[in-house]
Amino acid sequence: MKILVCIKQVPDADAPIRIGADGRSFAVTGGAWRMNRFDEFAVEEALQIREAFPGTVVEALSVGPARASAVLRRALSLGADEAIHILWEGEEEPLPGEVAALIAAYVRDRGYDLILAGVMAEDDMQAQTGPMLAERLGLPCATAVVAETIPPNGMTIRVERELEGGLREALEMPLPALLALQSGINRPRYPALSHVLRAQTQPLMTVRAGDLPAPPRRERVVLLFLPAPGAKTLFLTGTPAEKAERLAELFREKALLGN
Amino acid sequence: MRQGNEMNEGIAVILEGGAEGRPAPVSLELIAFAKSLRRNAAEPIRVFLPGRGIGAAAAELARLPGVAVTGIEGESLASYSAEAWKETLAPLLAARKTRFICVSHNANGADFAPGLAVRLGAACITAVEAFRIEAEGPVFSRSILKGKLQMEIVPEAETAVVTLLPGAFRRGDAPSSPMDKARKDGTVLLPEEFRRKAIPPTGATTLKEEKSEVQGDRAGPPAAEMISVPDIPLKTRPLGLLPAPDEAADLAAAEVIVSAGRGIGGEENIELLRRLASLFSRAAIGASRAVCDAGWLPCRYQIGQTGKTISPRLYIACGISGALQHLAGMRGSQCIVAVNRDPQAAIFRVADVAVVEELVSFLPLLIAACRKHREGAAEAGR
Repeated sequence: MKILVCIKQVPDADAPIRIGADGRSFAVTGGAWRMNRFDEFAVEEALQIREAFPGTVVEALSVGPARASAVLRRALSLGADEAIHILWEGEEEPLPGEVAALIAAYVRDRGYDLILAGVMAEDDMQAQTGPMLAERLGLPCATAVVAETIPPNGMTIRVERELEGGLREALEMPLPALLALQSGINRPRYPALSHVLRAQTQPLMTVRAGDLPAPPRRERVVLLFLPAPGAKTLFLTGTPAEKAERLAELFREKALLGN
Repeated sequence: MRQGNEMNEGIAVILEGGAEGRPAPVSLELIAFAKSLRRNAAEPIRVFLPGRGIGAAAAELARLPGVAVTGIEGESLASYSAEAWKETLAPLLAARKTRFICVSHNANGADFAPGLAVRLGAACITAVEAFRIEAEGPVFSRSILKGKLQMEIVPEAETAVVTLLPGAFRRGDAPSSPMDKARKDGTVLLPEEFRRKAIPPTGATTLKEEKSEVQGDRAGPPAAEMISVPDIPLKTRPLGLLPAPDEAADLAAAEVIVSAGRGIGGEENIELLRRLASLFSRAAIGASRAVCDAGWLPCRYQIGQTGKTISPRLYIACGISGALQHLAGMRGSQCIVAVNRDPQAAIFRVADVAVVEELVSFLPLLIAACRKHREGAAEAGR
């Protein structure tokens, strides 16, 4: 079986974030970039399928600027066999529609049996790239996938999607197919030392986005802004102990503390 | 700034019908959203309702003022399927050339909308929370980076598929007060204007092969246009709905919920939250999705859009960033206290009381202070 995992490099959302001078991009203090958490689940799922189906090849792919090679090395260190970097040299970040078109242009006719992606990127939170890629490739697709099993013949895949209200939907699709995975589907592993060493030296396959057919850009980011703080929010001040004292008083005033 | 969709006209709304379904609660929110996207009150809105046995639901929707309804009947539409939805809707929508196609950003909406946009060559803007109208058209606003920043984005195509985050539009952006009121008293499906005109939907259920459309109040009661579609060969085979495993843990009864986010740092620190919770009379522990995904707490503790919705008297968010999916589950809390070391965390925008501190050092101080006050109260009561 041949599996493609689509991964994205995103800023660490817990690091302090500034808005760039153009008003449309963001910068992370200290350049804290990492693999999108949802994609970590996708890499892990691919590796688990490879363990169940010996001979399976797992390839990781990322569309992004030069720095995105770091997440491809990360995927190799986790155990991916190959890594493909679609090098984006545009000034603005590519939008999901562009990313999906670029990946589709590269992937078409390469014979992947299964394409895995995270359900969304933690940075732009659009949840578009996976289903858009499936549509471009004419593949059946399921999003928010929380479980999958492939029967021994490797012809189909049974998946469970997460719905609202504590429900799941089960469905079966023929392979090839695309799944956008919800977080929590597995427990991503840590890199193994042997893979880490290989990941440092193994060449990435680099394809310049400019050498692929130009993707359509159908939306435009106008600006980014920091939302105003909540008008009614009271920020406690003082030493940590003073804040704790004030908060405990508040709980007592509301008669919430038990006896 | 020029948007491409000046030539197109009208707004489409796609609702989820399913089998013998009533429209989901998101329906009215989506329709209110569509109405406020209109250039003027004359711009038409058409609601598409795919499903099986949806005649009554379509007829009911057709009584809403200002919308025309197309019910799409088909055996292949009995349960939701991205393939069937795209296959059925794309030609109907392509023919209408609407400016906007509004879809709920729920599990199924988010599943088919991006693919539908690709099929139509349309722009796609997902998880929209608000918008403002500029001369060139609406500028949509959505959260990025777990809600730390907002992104304003515009379509640059003649048609745009826009998915609306459920619940986002009731925060006062909507001019439609009947909807807000309906939400408050829990009758989301039947707001005032809906109920007043409601008549038994008998007869409306009969499937009409040909288009049968009467529009406007003057011409008598409005009827839904019903289209029936032949069976669609689908690659995907639906196997039905399952309950998510691990149900239980009654957070609903708790007056105080102490909730853990990824910012608590590790499983070992949940004990601190338990100790804090033990000081309140009716308290429970909750968690964000990230905590359940990491296995620090079982998923029955999860609060949020795909977890539990709770409204305790006091919600103490510990190390929770405040992604909208989480806020959807706890915004109804009477008092929200947030403790997070990141002053930019989105949770602080919904919090009543905010504490910017490192949790692991702050919680022991808070526990000690609460103990002192509790004993003080006990003394005073003697």
